[in-house]
Amino acid sequence: MRTTAVIVDTAGVMSETLHVKSSLEVLAEVRAHIRLVARRLGADEPAVRGLVQAVDEWVTNVTVHGYRGAPGPVDIDVLRDGSDVRVRICDAAPVFDPATSPAFDPAVPLERRPFGGMGIALIRHLCTTFDHRALPAGGNEVIITRPALTA
Amino acid sequence: METSVERVSDSVAVIGLDGELDASNYQGLIDTGQGLYGEGVRTLVLDLTGLEYMASSGIVALHSLALVYRGEAPHDPDSGWGAFHAVQADVERGNRQEQLRLVAPNPAIDTVLDRTGMKQILPIFPDRSAALAG
Repeated sequence: MRTTAVIVDTAGVMSETLHVKSSLEVLAEVRAHIRLVARRLGADEPAVRGLVQAVDEWVTNVTVHGYRGAPGPVDIDVLRDGSDVRVRICDAAPVFDPATSPAFDPAVPLERRPFGGMGIALIRHLCTTFDHRALPAGGNEVIITRPALTA
Repeated sequence: METSVERVSDSVAVIGLDGELDASNYQGLIDTGQGLYGEGVRTLVLDLTGLEYMASSGIVALHSLALVYRGEAPHDPDSGWGAFHAVQADVERGNRQEQLRLVAPNPAIDTVLDRTGMKQILPIFPDRSAALAG
């Protein structure tokens, strides 16, 4: 099940929200949504690709590790924030702070890298901000930001 | 994602990938490659020309196939970076993974391959014929 909403706040800022129930089958739809809205908000193609990958990696993480395959709510807001495109993803899964995931260091030989964190490492590489907070009522909020135009 | 298999010889096959490789379908790619290995294929070319997107799950599939074509069992996908240890040991000994070859990743996929260390491990060719020539 999915629903979408376009919201314009009092300052005229437009955001588009996608509500889905988590599943691996919904990932393609999430990517298509991010692709469509990011382009509509003026993102260039490298920025679109980066945002699509970052959101896909996080929603996959929520689906597989957060909800452990069970359907759970995932809300995705996309908006233009000055020169950036900002994506806010909320879920009701157990709290997971990606800051606790091992940092990625390409200089470390692969055999000495810690387990896990490949998707998280990609998000960090692709986006300028990747902020997490535990929601007061439970669940996670992450905010991913990337400039709309790639230098 | 659509896959097409071309059997070049008894021991060589090409899998063409079209669409998006993600957490919903990466296991199917592993299964296809593993099935070909079971039929005697020892060199596998993955043609990425038509692949538009690869999630980190796709990297797990590539790594699993790299292990299969070395004659080992694929790792548990949940083992993450730990899954790369055995292959990387070969890289450090100068043994690239020539049994598994990639063709024409797009720039976004190339970035994913680069950031995850796979470009150090798997040879990449500009087109299918170059990959088959090795």
